[in-house]
Amino acid sequence: MLMARRNLGRDRTRLLLNIAGVALAILLILLLTGIREGMFRQITSYLDRTPGSLLVSQGGVENLLSVTSLLPAGATARVQGTRGVESVIPILSQYTILDLHGRKQAAYLIGYVPARGGGPWRLAAGRAPRADDEAVFDRVLAERHDLALGDRVDVMGRTLEVVGLSEGTTSWMTSFFFLRKSAVESLVRLPGATSFLLVTTDEGASVDDVRSRLASLDGVDVHTKGEIAANDRKLFARYFSAPVTLMAAIAALVGALVVGLVIYTATVERQRDFGVLKAIGAPNRSLYLVVVAQSLIASLGGVVAGSVLAIGARAGIMALRPQFLIVLEPADFVLALVVGLGIAMVAGLYPARRIGGLAPAEVFRR
Amino acid sequence: MIRLAWRNLTQNPARLLISLGGVSVALVLMLTLDAIFTGMEQRVTAFIDRSGADIFVSQQDVRNMHMASSSLARGQQARVKSVAGVASVTPILYVTNPILAGKDRSLAYIIGVPSDAKAGGPWEIESGREDPGAGGVVLDVGVAAKAGIGLGGEVEILGDTFEVVGLSHGTASMAGSVAFISLDDFADLWQDSDTVSFLLVETAPGEAPEQVAAGIEARVRDVTAMTRQEFARQERKVVRDMSTDILAIMNIVGFLIGLAVMALTVYTGTLSRRAEYGVLKALGARNGKLAATVVWQAVISVSLGFLIALILTSLLTVAAPLASASLRLVIGLPSVAKVVVTSLVIAGVASLLPIWQMARLDPATVFRRR
Repeated sequence: MLMARRNLGRDRTRLLLNIAGVALAILLILLLTGIREGMFRQITSYLDRTPGSLLVSQGGVENLLSVTSLLPAGATARVQGTRGVESVIPILSQYTILDLHGRKQAAYLIGYVPARGGGPWRLAAGRAPRADDEAVFDRVLAERHDLALGDRVDVMGRTLEVVGLSEGTTSWMTSFFFLRKSAVESLVRLPGATSFLLVTTDEGASVDDVRSRLASLDGVDVHTKGEIAANDRKLFARYFSAPVTLMAAIAALVGALVVGLVIYTATVERQRDFGVLKAIGAPNRSLYLVVVAQSLIASLGGVVAGSVLAIGARAGIMALRPQFLIVLEPADFVLALVVGLGIAMVAGLYPARRIGGLAPAEVFRR
Repeated sequence: MIRLAWRNLTQNPARLLISLGGVSVALVLMLTLDAIFTGMEQRVTAFIDRSGADIFVSQQDVRNMHMASSSLARGQQARVKSVAGVASVTPILYVTNPILAGKDRSLAYIIGVPSDAKAGGPWEIESGREDPGAGGVVLDVGVAAKAGIGLGGEVEILGDTFEVVGLSHGTASMAGSVAFISLDDFADLWQDSDTVSFLLVETAPGEAPEQVAAGIEARVRDVTAMTRQEFARQERKVVRDMSTDILAIMNIVGFLIGLAVMALTVYTGTLSRRAEYGVLKALGARNGKLAATVVWQAVISVSLGFLIALILTSLLTVAAPLASASLRLVIGLPSVAKVVVTSLVIAGVASLLPIWQMARLDPATVFRRR
C-alpha cells in the first residue's frame, strides 16, 4: 500500500487526472440514473403523499391521472358506512388547460375538502383555500408564470385568487393546483360530483377484507394505492421509459468504460515502474498488490469526488429547473462505489497480468 | 506539421488506442443522447408533419394539439373552402384518451378522419388498410405488438369497441400514439355531429401557405389558421414544456460530461507525450510549431474518434427501434455540427494547455518532470 501511495504521489497531476476521469464517469451515471428514477417517482407523487391505502374509482377506471372518473351518487356515504373503513377523502379532479398570460399550460386540478385532506401536503407560502374563489397553486408553476399570492387567475371561465403556494406538487409532466371541492363542482357544473375516494381502513382491519366489501358496491372499482400508482407509472412512463432508460443505460455503459479506460491507462503508463519492481526481484503477487492498491486509491478518490459533484449538480439542476426531481439515495452511492471499484480492479489487473508474464527487460522494451 | 503530428500519434499504438477509445466513448455519449432526443422530439409532431395538410385551422387561439381541445362548427368547412388558394379542406375530430387493448392501456391521440380524407390519415401502413371505416381503427404497430393483438383484434376507445383494420408505422411518440377511427364513429361517440376539432387545408399549387392562412383568418370568423410548420413549432413548445424537457436535460448533462471526458483524454494524451515534445524543443522547435503539432494531433484524434462514434451511433439507430418500437434515433446535421465543432474547440484547448505549461520550461526540465 505504501509503495502504491508513493508511486501515485510521485506524479500528482496524473493521479488527479485519473481521479477526475473516474469522478466524471460516476457523476454521469449518478445523474442520469437519478433523473430516470425521479421521473418515475414524480408520476405518483400525489398518491405517495396523500393518506389512505385504497382508492375507489368509477367502475372500469384503473388510473388516477389522465382519465375521467365520476362516482355514482351516494358512493361516498356508502363507502364511509362500510365496515372496516375509518375515513374517506373525496376528491374531484381532472386535467385543465390554463391560459396564463396568453400561454397555454396543462395542470392537474384537484378539488378537495380542506377539513378531510387530499389537498397540498406542504405549503411554501399562504394558506389553504377558505372560499370557492380561492386556489393554491404549485410554487414552481406560479414562479414560471410570475404568479404571486393575491394574484388573480382565470380558470374555466371563473376568476380565482391565489391564496397559497404548494411545495413538491410539480413534475416534468404537469403541476397540481388545488381548489375546494365545492368550487370544482361548480366549475365543471356537476354539483356533488366526486372522482375518487381515498380510503383509510380501521387499525387492525384487513385491507383485503375491506377491499372485498367495497368492491361489492355498485358502479365502483377498488384498488390499492400501489396498484393505481403502478398503472399510472405504466401509462405515463410507457413512451418515456424507453428513451429515458436507453439514455441512462448508455450513460452507465459509457461511465463504466471511462472508469475502465482511466484505470487501464494509469496501469499501462506505469509499466516501467513495474519493470523496475520485477528487476529487483519482486514477485508478481507484489506487483498485483501494488496495482490493486493504486487502482483502489484512484477509483475510490474518483467515486468520492464524483458523488460530491453529483450532489452539487443535483442541487444546481433542481434549483434551475425545479420541475425535475433527481433522486440520489445512499444505495445509489454504494452501487457506484461497488461498480467503480469492481471495474477499476478488472481494468488495473488485466494489464498487470500481462506485464507480470513478461521478463523485466521485455517490460522496458514495450 | 500534419505528418509529424500523425507520426507522433501513431508511434505508440497502445497509447493511440487509449486516446481514441476515450475520445470515441465521449463522442458516442454525446451523439447517441442527442440522437435519442432529436428522434423523440421529431416524433412528437409526426402527425402534424405527415398529415399532408399545409394549414391547420382551429378554434380561435388554439395553437396546438397536445392536451388542447378545439371546436369548430361544421359550417366553417365551407367558408374555409371558399378562401382563395384553398385546394381542399378535411375535417378531423381529435381527443387524447387511453386505448384499452386487453389489459394493456396506453395514451393516444384519437383522430376521427372522413373516408375520403385528403389529409389527416395514417401515412405509413404496415399492414391492413388505411381507411378505418365504420367500427374500425388503424393502430400504431408498436402499441398493437405490446398489447399482443393484430389485424382483426379488438380495442376499446372512448368506451366503444373497435376492430383493428390497419397497423401504422411512425405513429408513436413520447406524447402517446396516434389511432385513427372514422369521423362518423367519433361524432357518434361524442354525440355531436355539428362540430369538428380541426380543418386540415391543402393549398392550391403555387400558393404560399402563409398567405392562404392569413386569408382564412381574415375571411372566416373565430378561427386560428397556422401553417403546418408553425403549428408543429407550437406543438413542440407545449410538449417540450410537459414532456421532452426531461430528455433535453439528460442530453445536456451527457453532452457536458462527454466534453469533459474528451478534454481529459486529450489533455492526458498530450501530457503523456511530454518527452517527445521535449525532444522537439531540444532540437530547436519553436513553441508555435509545438502548439500546431499538438493541435493537429487533437484534430486527428477527434476526427478518428468521431468516425468510430458515428459508426457506433448509426448501428444503435438501427438496433434501438428493434428493441422498442417507440424508440427512434435521428442523427441530424445540426447535432453532428454541434458535437464536432465543440469537440474540436475543447480538444484544441485541452491539448494546448500542457504545451503552454511546457513552453515556459527549458527542454531539460521537461525530461526531469517526466
